[in-house]
Amino acid sequence: MSSQRRSIEAVDANGDGAMSFLADKSAKVFVAGHRGMVGSAIHRKLEALGFTNVVVRTRAELDLAFQPAVEAFFDAERPRYVILAAGKVGGVHASSAAPAQYLTQNLRITMNVVGAAQRCGSVRKLLVLASSTIYPEDAPQPMPESALLSGPPAAGSEWYAIPKITGIKMCQAYRAEFGMDAIVAAPNNLYGPCDPFPSERSHVIPALIRRFHHAKATGAAEVAVWGSGAPLREFTHVDDIADALVVLMDRYSGAEHVNVGSGSEVSVRELAEAVREVVGYEGRVAWDASRPEGVARRLLDSSKMRKLGWEPKVALRDGIKELYHIYLRHQWDAKIKRDLAHA
Amino acid sequence: MGTVNTADPHTSFLADKDAKVFVAGHRGLVGSAIVRHLLSLGFTSVVVRTHAELDLTRQADVEAFFAAELPRYVVLAAAKVGGIHANSTFPADFIAANLQIQTNVIDAALKCGSVRKFLFLGSSCIYPKLAPQPIPEDSLLSGPLEPTNEWYAVAKIAGIKMCQAYRIQHGFDAISAMPTNLYGPQDNFHPENSHVLPALIRRFHEAKASNAPEVVVWGTGSPLREFLHVDDLADAVIFLMDQYSGLEHVNAGSGSEVTIKELAELVKDVVGFQGKLVWDSSKPDGTPRKLMDSSKIQEMGWKPKVPLKEGLIETYKWYVENVINANK
Repeated sequence: MSSQRRSIEAVDANGDGAMSFLADKSAKVFVAGHRGMVGSAIHRKLEALGFTNVVVRTRAELDLAFQPAVEAFFDAERPRYVILAAGKVGGVHASSAAPAQYLTQNLRITMNVVGAAQRCGSVRKLLVLASSTIYPEDAPQPMPESALLSGPPAAGSEWYAIPKITGIKMCQAYRAEFGMDAIVAAPNNLYGPCDPFPSERSHVIPALIRRFHHAKATGAAEVAVWGSGAPLREFTHVDDIADALVVLMDRYSGAEHVNVGSGSEVSVRELAEAVREVVGYEGRVAWDASRPEGVARRLLDSSKMRKLGWEPKVALRDGIKELYHIYLRHQWDAKIKRDLAHA
Repeated sequence: MGTVNTADPHTSFLADKDAKVFVAGHRGLVGSAIVRHLLSLGFTSVVVRTHAELDLTRQADVEAFFAAELPRYVVLAAAKVGGIHANSTFPADFIAANLQIQTNVIDAALKCGSVRKFLFLGSSCIYPKLAPQPIPEDSLLSGPLEPTNEWYAVAKIAGIKMCQAYRIQHGFDAISAMPTNLYGPQDNFHPENSHVLPALIRRFHEAKASNAPEVVVWGTGSPLREFLHVDDLADAVIFLMDQYSGLEHVNAGSGSEVTIKELAELVKDVVGFQGKLVWDSSKPDGTPRKLMDSSKIQEMGWKPKVPLKEGLIETYKWYVENVINANK
């Protein structure tokens, strides 16, 4: 993926002569959460585009959930641009088991970063990451931005969704009161490289990769997968997300959040088949239809993002191949076994 | 190690009157009523802090306070509050300050280890604009919010969810009470930043005092509202602290509706203004009807006691003695 040339042109979106993001590559950009899937992808993207002053901090260096530390950081660093991709992520099972942690941590990170960004006075533009979990379970499919708050987030995902909804509203409020150029992007399911390898507890493609690989390595006759395989899902590669975020930073200054999804739907069955083929596992996939499988369809309406001139480029199969190579390289299987032994 | 609880873990709030109770927001309409009630019930250790003494929007300060004070009970009645105009002028302040206050106080209360019970106060504005009327607790998040107070509402919803999350993950006994529109002594009577009822009292009083020919009121007067005297709310809060430990938030309303027009006429009458009452229908009305479904708390055995006219007379008297005469 990194070998593909991706060109995005700088645009003076509002004609006021002020430098747009892409014409401002020596300005200081703070990427919060640069170790996560989205954060690392945007970090890679900015470096590839020639940004010379990207500032990052690990969690040990800067606890974004601690208000005084975030304020001190912003006062000292005075970034011109901020991309908030930091947060506690882990999927429905993890967040349902630790709702207080998910809710508080993610609320704090958002409050602290948006608040400190406004206070320090240097931030020209701030982008906050939301998520498709903000939309209710029965939202129309594809889900438009206007579905926000038309119903409650799905039970179990509210601990993650509420901070994301709050983040959208915070950005709108800061724009309305201070004229702060705060925008929000809402991706759907993501996949792609991450270091360490993404947790299988929260990401279905890495989970399938591991299981098919393990089955291949041990000569297992079949791999059991929960559900019927029928539900449709949309996956977007993080490099495509990173492209979209750059376009948004360069061209979008609206109060409404923007959906970012590939628009390509795949059934869980098709997905499992694709992983099976990439891994080269020749056994059976055994579907256990008695197991829960989630909603029938979950697709973003990303037409607003498309109209800004963005389109996804990574085909699912290519993305899975890349991820499988990374998996093999990092020997993630052994690491997970060690992690589980210590859990 | 401070007030480590060696008492019977099942001691109810009302049997625990020597325990330390922290009332956050004791200077506001709700907080002051709660403190009054606690003191009149014989609570001996009520702890309060002014904003200057303790800024609840500062995480480190709140954590230090809780670690030092180790209260057994907490009532969070502190918030940044205001009406339609205030919310639309200071949306970031409304959402950010309230989120910070709530997050800091709930989290510090858990972390300090001494808090046995926590009550979070929200507002009826958390409910969708087009919620079924009367509004039941389960209509939370079922539809879009009223835009004129959505910033405050989003913050309060996050607070309810925090209480639930802390109960689920930590077994922390945090409950949430959602009062309807409140009124009473110690309300904010600022002409632009206050809610409808105190604003009406002030405007009719000033018109009377200056012999103005008329008072102009925003909107058409047709929206229906429910009002609860703050002493009734304080009573409900203490009742819930004593008896309720559920996951779901609880509505606290009077169950009685009036139109804004009826309210304005009642206030005019109580204040004794003889001029005209004029409606400026170019200004927004806000939500068309807001009546809480308070059957849950009423089935638990609580009911309000203060009728509206009586409450208005008492509130006006307080206003004259404490706001008007105090400034002379």
